[in-house]
Formats: sequence, C-alpha cells, structure tokens
Amino acid sequence: MSAEPKPLTPEVRLEVAGIRKQFPGVVALDDVSLRLRAGEIHALLGENGAGKSTLIKVLTGVYQPDDGEIRLDGSPVRFASPRSALAAGISVVHQERNLIPQFTVAENILLERIPTRGFQLVDHRAVNRLARPWIEMVGLDAAPTTPVAELSVAQMQLVEIAKALSLQARILLMDEPTAAITPHEVGYLFRILGDLRRHNVALVFVSHKLEEVFELCDRVTVLRDGRNAATDVDVAKLDRDQLVTYMIGRAEVIAELPPKPPPREPVLEVAGLTGSRGDAALSFVLHKGEVLGLYGLVGAGRSSLAKTLVGEIRAMGGEVRVRGAVTHIKSFREAVEKYSFGYVSEDRKQEGLILLHSVRANTSITIWRRLRSFGQWITRSKEEAAILPTIRQLDVKTQSLGQSVGTLSGGNQQKVSIAKWLAGKAEILIIDEPTVGIDIKTKNALHELIWDLAANGKSILLISSDMPEVIRLSDRILVMRNHAIVGELPNTHQYDEMSEAIMARLS
Amino acid sequence: MTARLRNLAPGVALGLLLIDVAGMVVLSVARPQFLSTYNLFVTGRDLSILLLVALAQMIVLSLGQMNLSIGSIGGLVAIIDSGLMVRYGLPVPVALTAGFVLGIVCGVVNGLLVYWTKINSFVLTLGTSYVFAGINLGITHATPFYHIPNEISAFGQARLGPFPIMAAVTIVLALLLAFFLSQVVLGRQLLAVGGNALAARLSGLPIRRATLTAHAISGFLAAMAGTMLMAQLGQGQPTIGATWVLPSFAGPIIGGAALAGGSAPILGTVLAMVLISLIDDGLVLVSADPFWVQFLIGALILGAVVLGRARLSDIRTLLRISASSTHQAGSRQ
Repeated sequence: MSAEPKPLTPEVRLEVAGIRKQFPGVVALDDVSLRLRAGEIHALLGENGAGKSTLIKVLTGVYQPDDGEIRLDGSPVRFASPRSALAAGISVVHQERNLIPQFTVAENILLERIPTRGFQLVDHRAVNRLARPWIEMVGLDAAPTTPVAELSVAQMQLVEIAKALSLQARILLMDEPTAAITPHEVGYLFRILGDLRRHNVALVFVSHKLEEVFELCDRVTVLRDGRNAATDVDVAKLDRDQLVTYMIGRAEVIAELPPKPPPREPVLEVAGLTGSRGDAALSFVLHKGEVLGLYGLVGAGRSSLAKTLVGEIRAMGGEVRVRGAVTHIKSFREAVEKYSFGYVSEDRKQEGLILLHSVRANTSITIWRRLRSFGQWITRSKEEAAILPTIRQLDVKTQSLGQSVGTLSGGNQQKVSIAKWLAGKAEILIIDEPTVGIDIKTKNALHELIWDLAANGKSILLISSDMPEVIRLSDRILVMRNHAIVGELPNTHQYDEMSEAIMARLS
Repeated sequence: MTARLRNLAPGVALGLLLIDVAGMVVLSVARPQFLSTYNLFVTGRDLSILLLVALAQMIVLSLGQMNLSIGSIGGLVAIIDSGLMVRYGLPVPVALTAGFVLGIVCGVVNGLLVYWTKINSFVLTLGTSYVFAGINLGITHATPFYHIPNEISAFGQARLGPFPIMAAVTIVLALLLAFFLSQVVLGRQLLAVGGNALAARLSGLPIRRATLTAHAISGFLAAMAGTMLMAQLGQGQPTIGATWVLPSFAGPIIGGAALAGGSAPILGTVLAMVLISLIDDGLVLVSADPFWVQFLIGALILGAVVLGRARLSDIRTLLRISASSTHQAGSRQ
C-alpha cells in the first residue's frame, strides 16, 4: 500500500440503499442508506438499538438484508457470508476482540493463510516476515512473535487493524473502537486512522462519543429506530446540538402521564459507595414512590453501580442504607430476600430469563420458596393463582402460562422479567435499559407501567441511555460519566431544557 | 403453534412410545419366546437397573452438566455393601444404608468439585470415576465378594409372574424424581439453574444447593443401581458399572434431554431405555452377533443428537414465522 495521491473528487466506494432487515417482532433496519467514499472517515451514529450493529452485520455478510441494494464501486453485490465480504475488501474490527490469545501477533494477522514449507509444515520465519510490514504500518510496538494474550486491549485492536489491512481491506468498519481504551491510546488510534484515510481507505467509525466524531470524522450518518435520521451529512456543517437532535430525536406525541403522588421517605441511601471496577465514591438517595433516573452513555458505569448495589459486584467501600438500616449485602440472594431488591437486567436473554422455560416458571421463580407448603412442594394451581394478577396487571401477551418465554416478543419478554419481581414483592426495583430493542408502542406501555409502579409506592432506579425516556419518567435525574455521578437534576419534564442541562454535565 | 413448541419433549416421548409398541409387536410375532415369562423377567430386570443409571445421568444433564462416574459409584457401592456384609458380617439394612450414604457422598464430592473449581464436569467426573474405581480395585484386588446374604440374592431373583420385584423400586424412584422436579421447590430451582444459571442467580436462587442436589441424587441412583445389580448377580462384583457410560447417556439423549440443561424428560428417558432393551433383546432372540448391539446403540445416540439439533433449528424457524406472519402460523397449527 504505497502513498497514492488523494484524488480531488473522492470516488463513492460503497453505496447502500433501501436496506431492510427484520427480526422476530422487530424491524431492525428500515429503508437505510449509507454512502461511503474512498479516503473519508464516516461516522455511523445512533443510540442503543438504533440499528448500527445490524447495519454493520449486513455490510459484512453476517446478515442478508430482506430488501435493498449494496453497490461496491458502482456494481451491485451480495455477500452470502463474512468470507465473501472479506474477499471484496470489507473488513470489520468488532467491539469484542476476535483474536486467538495463545497465538502470536503474526499468526493472528495471517491466520487463514499461514505460509507453509513442504508437508504442510508452518514456515514460522515466513509468517513473521510477512506480518512485519503490517505491524509496522499500524505502529504496533510489539514483536511478531509476541503472544496476543500479552498485549493491551489497544494493542490487540491494532493487531486487528493490521489483519484487516493485510487482507487488502479497502473499507474498514470500526465498531466502537474507543470504548475500552485510554484517552492516550485513543489519540494514537486516531493518528493511525488518519494515515489510513490518506491511503484512500474508506473508514466507518461507530462511536457514542460525539467529541470523537467532531475530532476525527468527515461525514456522518445517523440511525434512529432503524431508519436514517441523517444521511451523509458533512460534519463541518453540523454542531453538537444538531447531532444530538438527530440521534435522540424529539419525543413523538406521547400521552401525558397521569399525576403521581410525590416521593415519600428515603428507602435507599447510598453514601460513598465504591465498586471494585474503579467507580468514584457514589452517593444518592432513592425515595419511596420515586423514579430516580440514572442517565449516562454506555460505559459510564451505570450497570456496574447497579450490580454493586445488589451484591453482584463486591463493594470496596461506602455505606448503603435500606429503610434506614445499614446493610452489608454480600450476595444477590441476600439483596433479594432480606432487602426486597429486584433487578431487571439490561440483558434479559442472558441474565433475566430462562428462554426455554414457561412464562409460569419464569414469573414464579422468585416466589417458589414462599409458595411451598409443609412437604416442600408447590402446586401448579397455587403457583398460577400467585402470578396471574401480575401477568394481567402487566398485560403480558401470551397464549398460556405454559408458553415458553423464548417465543414471546421482546416487549412481552421484558414484561415477564419485570413481572417476576412484582410477583416477588420487590420494593426497590433497579431497571436497567428497559426499552432497548423494543418498539415504540410497547415502549410506551412499559413507561406507563414503570410510572404506575412508582405511583403505587415502589422505589425505582431507572438506568437508561435513552434521554427522552429518562426525562419522561424520572422525578430526579442523576447524570453519570466515567464512573462518577456528575450531576443531580430535579426534572422539569421539559425536554429541551432538561436535555441541555444533561448534555452540559456530560461535556 | 406455540403449543407445538411447548410439547416438543412429549412429542419425542410419543414417537418413542410408538416405536416401542411397534418393536414389541414385531418381536412377539417374529419370536414367540419374547413373550415368555422368563425372557420378560430377565429383560425387565436389566431394564430396571439401566433405567436408574440413565436417570442418574439425566438429573445431572438437566443441570447442564455430566457425570461420568455413575458406573464407578455403582461398582464401589456394590463392593462396599457386599464387603460389609460378607467380610464384617454387618446386618443387611446397615450395610445397604452405608452404601446409599456412600453413593450420595460420592455425588456430593462431584458437585462440590464442580461448584468450587468451575471446571467442566466432564473432566472432573472423569477424574473422580477413576478415583472411585481405584478404591474399588484397591479393596477387592478385582476379586468378588461371594456369598452375600440370601435375602439380597433372593430379591434379585424375586418376581411376580413375569415382573421382577426390583422394577417396583425403579418405578417408585422415577415417580419420585418426576414429582421432585415438577413440584418441589428445590427441583424447580435445579431445572432453572440448568436452563440459565446466570438468570437463576440473578433471580436469587441458590446455585450451590441446586448443583449439590443434582449430583447427590445422581450418586444415590447410581448406588441403587449398583446394589440392584449386586442382588441380581448374587455377589459383589468389582466390575459392576464398568459398562454404564453408554446407556447412561443414551437414555436421556434419545429421550429428548437438552444437553445444555434445563430439561428433564423422565418419560422420554424411560421409553428410550425400553427401546434400547428391545433392541438388545431382539438381537439376542434373532441370535445376532451381540457385538453389534453396541454399534446400534451408538448409531441411535448419534441419530438422536442430530435430531435434537434439528429440533433446535425448528424452534428458531418457528420463532421467525410466528413473528413475521401470525395468521400463517395460526393456520399451521
């Protein structure tokens, strides 16, 4: 890859038009377009669940679009597999590392075309020789023979970029490359990406951090709810507010929530809590009947705060009081059984539900102990009597209580993962990203449900990176950044005013 | 349509039931000896023992783990039982109780190792199986304990018409296990942990208790199977259990157990074991080469696993259909 001069009018290298991709219960991409030129860094933005990852998977042959066209250098292409996308010069560096830790840097770069001598013996010397130029090109300060396991996360990322370049990638997709590396490393990465731009590579840069977009990118495409909110806009002609508006949009006309009694006495008092994952000392108070919003971008430390509260992550210091009494919660079970916490995980499929099991079993899992009679056994009728009111209250759409949860829509799955805590009589509910990947209508129903629960005296810590959601539902809003609470705002429910106030804390 | 999903395991059971009935009809027509009292008694007795072996594996599979030491637990318990009675002259109830406790202890050791080390249960129980078998050999030097008390060997030969009395033990234990898994809190928790351990923990369930319980039950069932085989043989054979690995997996897997855990198809396991004993029996009755029995059972397991895979992709297809076009899915029912 020699330094070619940059052409005056950059050619359009990849053009995507009218892409549609549907999953059970969700339209992930709807009429999505993207135009990518050689020698540009193109930001792809959007909130969680907006469809960025799906689009990347469509571009790299992991998913086949249901509709729409992909044109590469002007001619239509279809990628049947990741392999064929790679062969066409499209590489991706995922958020998660895709390297074999025990193998060396050079082996990872040349993984699927390891040079051999006779008898299929690996030619180690050739491996290292062939990998070296790519290692140097990304400025990786490590010998080709270093095992990848000994590298830092940022260095591993460079190995992946080197691998992509060695595959003659002319289009490189970077999915949140800065999520897990230090600011210093980010600076270095940006220099490398700048070099690649000069070498006429077309780059797609996915990030949640707007500063980075303004610093690095030439053009931007924004997705919202699976559609284009902005297509191929010149970054220089945008300001931060406009970009934020593209990303989060205006809350559509949504019904006004009914008045709710004001929050009452404190239920959960947190003072100087430090988790083991580098949180600053965190302090806040949650009242009975209150929705306390916890806003922050991905990686701000919100979920680890939640997990520290419920004993999943060991707290290093600080004091937590529940209903006035000092607690030392050591396990999740204790948080649930002794202090009536409930935790609705952001990852309902992995952490919230047993997908193969029935709605009944998933809902009553929290109350089996309470239901048992003398001989330890529980009867189905008792079980159903105990959960039916909750299932009805939440309006879970299911054919029967015996239906397996995996067959429900995302919104109904989410209702079940909330229902089990209501059946379990949880008083303090920590709800993490309740509406990610859930359609607008069900989202609204979930909002009303959360509101209702608070009105009926539950205390709710609502974790969300969805700004309209936080502003709509919260009594107060905590803003989190870099594992610290950087603001506590009384909520006026006025969107413009509040979003400005929140963004001010984040920048 | 979702009813179809829900009833997948019963679907497997129904299929097996049909195959079993067809197999019995064919066997009784082709070889009238099949229905002889003695043949039914012998077949039923083997089945009673191997079914316990299969259930011992099923309960651990339902947790998403395995137990490769079922056979060596059975063997160790059999020689400890017979040793206590023959060498030390302990009364039968005392010796048997000691054997059952030993089986449970072996199971708990497996469970604790898996829980503490988080190492794959395959590797751990492979290790403990050699430990248990080694204790067995160390004690016996591969010599059986002969002359066990008469009441034990009489139990091994007892029958009511063609029905072996020991089948009653197996039936009762299978029913208890079914009740435990569907109605008892700990049983439900065990299945939940098998279905998704992380979600179970984040629902406040006791993971360690569920793990230990499954392994303890497995150890107890292995001990019972070992004791029953000792009674049938009329001696404490050190080789008891040596061939149990294959049938222990064959039953639950053919019976429809999800290898990832979360399901406990007791009926399916029972019917699968009936099928295996029919094949076994049929091959003997047509005087086929007994060495091919293993080949057939192996092929059956492979077939069942591949079918199980197909069922999973079925579920995914069904999910897709149900989401995209509800009316179509409705008409498929």
